[in-house]
Amino acid sequence: MAQDLVIYAVVHQPRRIKLPAQPIPKGAAPKDIEHCLFDERLNEEYFHKVATYCYYPATEMFIELADGGLKLSIGFSVSVLRQAEAWDRKLFDLFRQLAAQPNIELINVEPYHSFLPLLDLRMFAKRMSWARDHLEKIMGNRPEVTDTTEMLMSNGIYHALDGLSFSGAFLDGRPWVMEWREPTHLYHKGKDMMLLARHYQLSDDVGYRFSNKGWWGYPLLADSYAHWLRETWGDFMVLAWDYETFGEHHSRETGIFDFMRCLPGELSKRNIATLTPSEAIAKYRERSFHLPLPAFPCTWAGDGGMEFFLGNAAQQAVFQLMLQAYNKALLTKNKKMIDLALWLIQSDNLHLIQWFDRWGSDAEVSAYFTPEEWWKLEPSGIIWEMQQVYKNFIQSLDAYL
Amino acid sequence: MRQRHITTENTEFVILCFEGPDRYSLAGGLGVRVDNLSATLAEMGFTTHLFFIGDPELSGEEVRQGGKLFLHRWCQWISRYYPNGVYEGENEKLYDFNKSIPWFVKEHIAKPAVAQGKLVVIIGEEWHTAEAMCRLSDALYSDGLRDNVVMFWNANNTFSFHRINWGRLNYTTTITTVSRYMKHVMWRMGLNPLVIPNGIPRSLLRNVQDRMADEVRRALGADLVLCKVARWDPDKRWNTAVEAIARLKEKGLNTVLLARGGMEPHGQEVLHHARSMGLTVAGARTNPGSSDGYLAALQKAASADIIDIQFHIPLDFLRVLYRAADGVLANSGHEPFGIVGLEAMAAGGIAFTGCTGEDYAIPFVNSFVLETSDPMEIVGYMMYLRDYPEEGKRIREAARRTARSFTWEAAVQNLITKLENQARIQGTLGGMPTPSTPQITPEDLMATTLKRHY
Repeated sequence: MAQDLVIYAVVHQPRRIKLPAQPIPKGAAPKDIEHCLFDERLNEEYFHKVATYCYYPATEMFIELADGGLKLSIGFSVSVLRQAEAWDRKLFDLFRQLAAQPNIELINVEPYHSFLPLLDLRMFAKRMSWARDHLEKIMGNRPEVTDTTEMLMSNGIYHALDGLSFSGAFLDGRPWVMEWREPTHLYHKGKDMMLLARHYQLSDDVGYRFSNKGWWGYPLLADSYAHWLRETWGDFMVLAWDYETFGEHHSRETGIFDFMRCLPGELSKRNIATLTPSEAIAKYRERSFHLPLPAFPCTWAGDGGMEFFLGNAAQQAVFQLMLQAYNKALLTKNKKMIDLALWLIQSDNLHLIQWFDRWGSDAEVSAYFTPEEWWKLEPSGIIWEMQQVYKNFIQSLDAYL
Repeated sequence: MRQRHITTENTEFVILCFEGPDRYSLAGGLGVRVDNLSATLAEMGFTTHLFFIGDPELSGEEVRQGGKLFLHRWCQWISRYYPNGVYEGENEKLYDFNKSIPWFVKEHIAKPAVAQGKLVVIIGEEWHTAEAMCRLSDALYSDGLRDNVVMFWNANNTFSFHRINWGRLNYTTTITTVSRYMKHVMWRMGLNPLVIPNGIPRSLLRNVQDRMADEVRRALGADLVLCKVARWDPDKRWNTAVEAIARLKEKGLNTVLLARGGMEPHGQEVLHHARSMGLTVAGARTNPGSSDGYLAALQKAASADIIDIQFHIPLDFLRVLYRAADGVLANSGHEPFGIVGLEAMAAGGIAFTGCTGEDYAIPFVNSFVLETSDPMEIVGYMMYLRDYPEEGKRIREAARRTARSFTWEAAVQNLITKLENQARIQGTLGGMPTPSTPQITPEDLMATTLKRHY
């Protein structure tokens, strides 16, 4: 029976592009190109909304839980931190307060939540190193364990991260990756960097299914959930969620906050200890197991493979445009244009159109994240205008070559 | 208690247009229209905001006319990339205009004005503003302000009608246009716009000095002088004008056409056509300056049948040309309003208009209205004027009298009457309409009609 528990939540907000696409003036300066590409007014609106429903109550709750002895880990994308710094300084300070809690470990993540790990491993490594320094600078703690984007992991990604001397990284413990192995042990891929495998069923019980009245486990109570954890075989479990699970994906009315507040007590009753990722690595390093990693990246999104992001023609087309935008921006050698391209390869831009030509629960999740304001363009209009954003950017790079 | 009328105390005006008063923003008649309309409203005492694609090098906001007229130069950050005028980078500007104007007008003008118990009148000009007007109406509605705002959207032309969502525009605004001809064009599209004609500035009613007009005639030394000012556009029927010159020349009359076109390539076709009929063409060029300079430039080219004027003609000198000419050919085949004909009439010129949007033109009373594109129609009327010079004098007088009722003051009075009616329909104003004093009486017009020689 697993006796330890690692909890991880990642805070992220996308930098939504502007739809319908704003034409970019010929020869425009980077700041004007940026203005045409991103809908900061929309981003600010969504940020305030999520801050009210999720970030404030969830952060206060996690601080309270950490004060009570619960150990957990939090990752922040630079994307969300910039929004907090720009639009809600009080919340930004609250995030810093959370990250400074002794029972909380700060986790490194891909700064812009981008697809760089798929596109350019060398640049990915450079950006992860930058993110680590950046987080240390603004949060005061230097991350030792890392996540990526959407928990992407592959053989290549592992080696890129290992080269940065992280002690550990997360991956999603899907059967197609783990094969016969349990996700409840510590793993490695032959190098120093350990792998923490997320228990996707137990995680998704809270992350996806908690408020689903059609689910057999509904309503999920802290005692029964703690019991399921207690009954799980292995050394330790990794539960990982979007931070927005608390108050945003599941509203306050679903009881998600009450559930979390009751959980530590129920865990104690069953002698389940919480560890930070670094503590789990330290404790289990000597008995870690080798895990072959696939060449195809796995992710915590959808069914665990890249089909969640590249499964329909619209996503594939935008992905091609991402490749063009990023690589052409590199040709300019212009730092600001490369930075804009990095924003444009944000994974959310493919996440948000996963629903295209699809149906089912994944499509519903994807459609839920698509900004309400975009739907007036109709589905095909959203796809068209999204492509137009990339085409406009690619065209605007001409002036820099 | 609800107010009964639009007054300077209870109403603010907002005009949205791509064109505007800056040189950068003036591409044609639209810029002149909004410049005059906004200035007239401000002069009458109304707080007026004009949003337009302004010169990027000028201040973003400028206050004129004793604090009554606010110029909002929009999209300047885009215009900096497009130095060649209002329509360069049109799509880039349009996107920004549609996105930013509705919010700004709602928050910074409509909301404070309504909070003070005022009515807000918003007028959108041309297709460029159609989407912004729809979005603005929606935004005002969602904030509970729409009933306190009267929104008119005006069609000055049929340009880019295919880009307008008419159902939405017709639902959110009151559609207007500048002539009965345009009303009928739009009627065929299932629309029924109100007609609010254009106007001319009162300053154009000043007398043109005959001495100056005589000097122009002497400089040209021709038997007959015709004048045409228009874009080089087939709709303007330049070829008909040129063919009329050729026919008059065939009759042994030394005729000259003062031609002022634009930058359009059709100009080359027209001048080639003229040469192919044996007409001579000479360009007249000079630097901006005095009337003497303009006269000298015309005199230098006077031996030609067609003088292609290639310098900017200041309005004062243009009025002299209108006055000096035996006929001003405003003979468009499609003319939503035809401001040139009206300006010529105000200068005491004899306008030869087409017969589409020129509601001000009454044939043989204050002008000649051309029914066809046959140059012989022009030739026939020119010969008539030559045979009956007193008719020319009478038409010139009637033309000036007519122009008096088409000033911007009169146009604004007409506009306000229709706005008040719409405000009553919306329930924002109470009471019933009351008569206003017309600027010209029917008797004035009848008096001129009875003197005709036909």
